[in-house]
Amino acid sequence: MQSSHMNPNWAEENLQTIRTLMERSAMYRHALAPIMLFAGVLGALAAGGGIVFHLDSTRAFGALWLGAALVAVAGAFFIVRRQALKDNEPFWSPPTRRVTLALLPPLTAGMILGVVFTWFPTAGVVDFTLLLPFLWALFYGCALHAAGFFMPRGVKWFGWIYIGLACGVLCLLVTIQPQIQISAHWLMGFFFGVLHLAYGAYLYLTEKGKNAV
Amino acid sequence: MNQEPFLKLNRVIHEKGRLVIMSMLAASPELSFTELRDTLAMTDGNLTTHIRALQQEGYVAVAKSYQNRRPLTTCSLTAAGRKAFAEYINLLEQIVRQNRSK
Repeated sequence: MQSSHMNPNWAEENLQTIRTLMERSAMYRHALAPIMLFAGVLGALAAGGGIVFHLDSTRAFGALWLGAALVAVAGAFFIVRRQALKDNEPFWSPPTRRVTLALLPPLTAGMILGVVFTWFPTAGVVDFTLLLPFLWALFYGCALHAAGFFMPRGVKWFGWIYIGLACGVLCLLVTIQPQIQISAHWLMGFFFGVLHLAYGAYLYLTEKGKNAV
Repeated sequence: MNQEPFLKLNRVIHEKGRLVIMSMLAASPELSFTELRDTLAMTDGNLTTHIRALQQEGYVAVAKSYQNRRPLTTCSLTAAGRKAFAEYINLLEQIVRQNRSK
């Protein structure tokens, strides 16, 4: 490295190398904002579709939202892959593998419970249509928290927001206001539409700010 | 030109091989030996030598365990390593600013 000091820009080049390696090691930061915005738009559209077309039965509700989840996962992989190609990096890199493995257990649990509750609704015991948004938000929050160990710190906090809101609102409904009638699509729209859009917008604006510096 | 920031640069971190290892570890809680070797395209021997040097300085902690009955070596930055790396970055930034103001 001593010989590189002949180049007056060696310090700048070193900093650039460090930045590139740290970004490569910490997952595709730049892909996070578009993924969040995509998931938010999809969540809002699914909620709107569910409300407008009155998809209120447990099966219709489950089919709509499990379908939306599959599209969201496929879209997220597409965005990450596109980012990897753009940055000339391997798609299935160690960071991608670690994040995927961290996300997998809670998301699989949420999907399995979603399928079971949707296809075998126990009428009269619990309204699964209203319970599923909270369960999914909880599992999703846990998945984000686990993935947050390998991603920017904000992801962990985003996970905590899901966990806190899902527990808080569910406890509120069960203990204080059990008579309140809330549409499950509105809840899903809030959890998976509004929250994603808000975090995506925050990431987009802060990332833009960092790039400008 | 003020030579002071350059003279203060940590010689252990400043070596190219060790600098890239420190950069990777600074962005992750821990990385396996294999991940480091594959990402940095280093040989086993080369990586071992650099990690040993960083370990001796107290900058890197090495943990050995088993995964699927196979030995797994993981590396992570120690508190002293993070501090030294942050100081190194600060000095590089000082040098860049100095170069720009010339």
